[in-house]
Amino acid sequence: MKKLTIAALMLLLSLSLVFANGSAESAQAADGELNGTITFWHSFTQGKRMEAVQAAADQFMQMHPGVTINIETMAWGDFNTKWNAGLTTGDLPDMSTAQNTGEVAEMLNVGVLRSVDTVIDAIGRDRFSANALGDMTVDGEVYGIPYYSHAQVMWYREDLLDAAGLDVPQTWDEFYDAAVALTKDGVYGAAVSLSPNDLLGTRYLNYYVRSAGGSLLNDDLTANLTSPEAIEGIKFWVDVYKNCSPAETINYTVNDHATLYYQGITAFDFNSGFQIDGVRNNRPDLLPYVSCAMLPRMNADDPLYSAEATHIPLVIWQNSEHPEICEAFIEFLYEEDNYTDFLSAVPVGMLPSISGISETEAYRSNEIVQDFAEEEAIIAEAIELGSAIGFEHGPSAQAGLLANQGIIEEMFQDIIMNGTPVEEAAAAAEAELNEIFEAMVQ
Amino acid sequence: MSLKKRFTAGGAFSYVYLTLLCILAVFPLVWLVVSAFKSSGEMLANPTKILPMDWTLENFETVLFTLRFTVNIKNSLIIALATTLVATVISALAAYGIIRFFPKLGNVMTKILITSYMFPSIMLVIPYAVVMRNIHLTNTRTGLVLVYMSFSVPYAVWMLVGFFKTVPIGIEEAARIDGANRIQVFTRVVLPLVRPGLVSTAIYVFINAWNEFLYAMLLVSSSSKTTLSVAVRTLEGADILNWGSMMAASAIVVLPSIFFFILIQNKLAGGLTEGSVK
Amino acid sequence: MPHHLKGRTSIQGSSLTRWFFVGPAMLVVICLLIYPLCTTVLYSFTDKTMIRADFNFTGFENYTRILTDPDFWSSFANSLVWTIFGVLGQLAIGFTGALCLNRIKSPVMRNVFRITAIIPWAFPSIATAMVWKWLLNGIYGFVPVSLRNLGITEGLAQFFSTPELVMPTLIFINIWFGFPLIMVNVYAALQTIPQDQYEAAQIDGASAWQSFIHVTVPHIRTVVGLLVVMRTVWIFNNFDLIYMITGGGPAGASSTMPIYIYDTGWTGRMVGRASTASVLLLLFLVILCVLYFRVITRWEKEDDK
Repeated sequence: MKKLTIAALMLLLSLSLVFANGSAESAQAADGELNGTITFWHSFTQGKRMEAVQAAADQFMQMHPGVTINIETMAWGDFNTKWNAGLTTGDLPDMSTAQNTGEVAEMLNVGVLRSVDTVIDAIGRDRFSANALGDMTVDGEVYGIPYYSHAQVMWYREDLLDAAGLDVPQTWDEFYDAAVALTKDGVYGAAVSLSPNDLLGTRYLNYYVRSAGGSLLNDDLTANLTSPEAIEGIKFWVDVYKNCSPAETINYTVNDHATLYYQGITAFDFNSGFQIDGVRNNRPDLLPYVSCAMLPRMNADDPLYSAEATHIPLVIWQNSEHPEICEAFIEFLYEEDNYTDFLSAVPVGMLPSISGISETEAYRSNEIVQDFAEEEAIIAEAIELGSAIGFEHGPSAQAGLLANQGIIEEMFQDIIMNGTPVEEAAAAAEAELNEIFEAMVQ
Repeated sequence: MSLKKRFTAGGAFSYVYLTLLCILAVFPLVWLVVSAFKSSGEMLANPTKILPMDWTLENFETVLFTLRFTVNIKNSLIIALATTLVATVISALAAYGIIRFFPKLGNVMTKILITSYMFPSIMLVIPYAVVMRNIHLTNTRTGLVLVYMSFSVPYAVWMLVGFFKTVPIGIEEAARIDGANRIQVFTRVVLPLVRPGLVSTAIYVFINAWNEFLYAMLLVSSSSKTTLSVAVRTLEGADILNWGSMMAASAIVVLPSIFFFILIQNKLAGGLTEGSVK
Repeated sequence: MPHHLKGRTSIQGSSLTRWFFVGPAMLVVICLLIYPLCTTVLYSFTDKTMIRADFNFTGFENYTRILTDPDFWSSFANSLVWTIFGVLGQLAIGFTGALCLNRIKSPVMRNVFRITAIIPWAFPSIATAMVWKWLLNGIYGFVPVSLRNLGITEGLAQFFSTPELVMPTLIFINIWFGFPLIMVNVYAALQTIPQDQYEAAQIDGASAWQSFIHVTVPHIRTVVGLLVVMRTVWIFNNFDLIYMITGGGPAGASSTMPIYIYDTGWTGRMVGRASTASVLLLLFLVILCVLYFRVITRWEKEDDK
């Protein structure tokens, strides 16, 4: 009996160790047929997008029996920490998404990416926006392929505006007044979310500074949080936080934040077309009242502008043993059917990064795309006009670090929580950012 | 008459106090489990309503099948079981060895083990990350099991020393005279005597491994290898925040842990009161 | 330790068998605890980062930087508040709970209470974080909405975004999680007190309070002392709860030492500086524990007399 127990224990033990070990195999590429295993990291944690990518991978593996694609999904907020830690632990993928072009610049800063020019040429270089490719070009070589695009616009609720007899705000002042007026009966005008684990504070401040014609970076790529427009912008958002936002959002990340609008708790929000799918999933009854406009400006007669357009890139990592598989798989992802399927996972939220898709019947047949054609046009215009945060000076690692170190968010929290004077907090945050730039940019 | 007399003021106060304490202790569990059965609309519409209007399994379905938590459950089980087995074997040997062969050194050893309890895991995790890379165990379950020894073994040794002390040396000497060697004495005579202690130690190690978060988050990145705790955490970073699936997923993590805890509840105090640290 | 065990407990074994028994555990201690400790100390004198393989020795630069960083000191202060109130709270609730449990005569009820009360202890930190975050959510959480509906607060209470409330809230959650451990252990210790000592005290005319001080306290203080040491270390080092509930925010109002180390090392990627902070944290704990153990050893000696 005892022996049996011990034997059983040993068996279990060895079994679990065998299970625990399942990885590490390699293969040779022979006679042109693709052969090998790649790991693909992406941060599409939502069901439908995840499924669309998985389905494409399954199909690809069926077509190429020698290929295995391991897909790893990770939360948006963990992505940056994960690959940075991977530089130490050696745990890096063969291919991955990046959160934005700014993150690609950061990856290039540490030299971990492989050029993707062959894939771009295979898909058709002229089908991509030259701006988007330019943001990821170093010494004439492109290092990221835009997978989908979106841009920041202002979302509002028609029913709430109508009930209060308000027009769609054109300027920041009008926006503020409307947001204050709509903060009642369990609805908040707009949420200002400031968790240092996310970039919303930077994003909001960037809207304001860009609308005033300024930038959060100087020409020499040092941080600039103390310009008159930055100081004014900080004060503006602190006021919005204090008068229109649920207090708790001071520690909210982008998902907590967006959920508030999805659930009808906030009247205004700033985001891309993801809002539509969010509302549809949470409060379908509110969907008819959801609409968007370009970001507010300083004065109503200022020209239209766009503060932030994002192209979510695919990248291939330098350490990959099978770049040829990555390239073939990426090409496969852009095949019309696969690409349309992927985009339709979040209709209007993810807009095509290549031309020749949005006109197709398959793309147009989506109900949401039809219902929100106006909104799609507005976002498409914002994509055309905009670039990533800080990229008005060209692509730089500083631009990436500006947004993902949480320094600007901590500055906002410090002002709101501790009552630190705006100028003082801004100067301190600026100094801290410059110190990080110096330590991290190679 | 005597029965009534037992009901003193102090006794009544004890009842009231403990009842309140128990309500506080159990309410979050009730809330968590019950919410897991609510539909997402209901959850936000009636924030103070405790029981759902319609019981639905949709959250569990989403978590288990759409989000594939079955994979994470399997990972957590494999990792926790392997940790339990390896740690219990190592610790049982060590606890016995300390008592029988290193009576003087034993004191020092237990002190070292207690000191190691002081090492913050946030400190250890950076060297672990570097070492794991060098021995090619980054992002593997084996690597995580290895790392889990760092907190499982010291604690298990500590608990087990207390149990092994209760074994009278005379029995062992008798077995020795009958011709058994040291290892036979250990496996055939000593281990059966401390079996209850061994079982509760093993369960305790299992629970700790099952619940661990920090190492699992930082040392394993593959979603196909992450543990349940980390998977629940990623739900918070998902595109759309869904409290229903988060509660269902939390229920899946918490219920086994509670079950095992109740199983060993009368052994929980073992280590300290039986003087194992002296 | 029971008396019959106080005799000879050790035997001579051949040196090989001896090491067979303790070898694996020693290997664990050396590889998984001593070696990382040494690397951490080494890194603490370098400018190592997460993203570069090479590093330079920078002497005490990290130490001077950390010790002059106001964020470090505010995290340290938060750690002290978090630990002191956490330990005291767990002790107060756990201890009184155990005393009450000891007065319950009905064995059935005693078991019901005991088993129900240990539930929080079984909560994995992720589940603790999730459920409390939702219960206390400032927009639609059960507690803030209930408080407002009952007229206790005017608006919705903001447990996680009011700087004065965030630490007390976290400490409350921590006490909720940790009191059962104290309760169960103290209760077990109370059970070991021989009943005749109380009877003797009663005959001597001692009041309930006096017999508590002269009989109960001396019997259980060693156990309580050890519990305090264990809890202090555990709470001081705890990372999960705060990380998952507030991440240290808002504005660092709930950032403790482990959070500071995480932010420096993983988010900020400055491994050298994070190692320095770890070394300082450990040093503080070691000093604290040495002091604690002095007291406990003295108690033990008094007990043995």
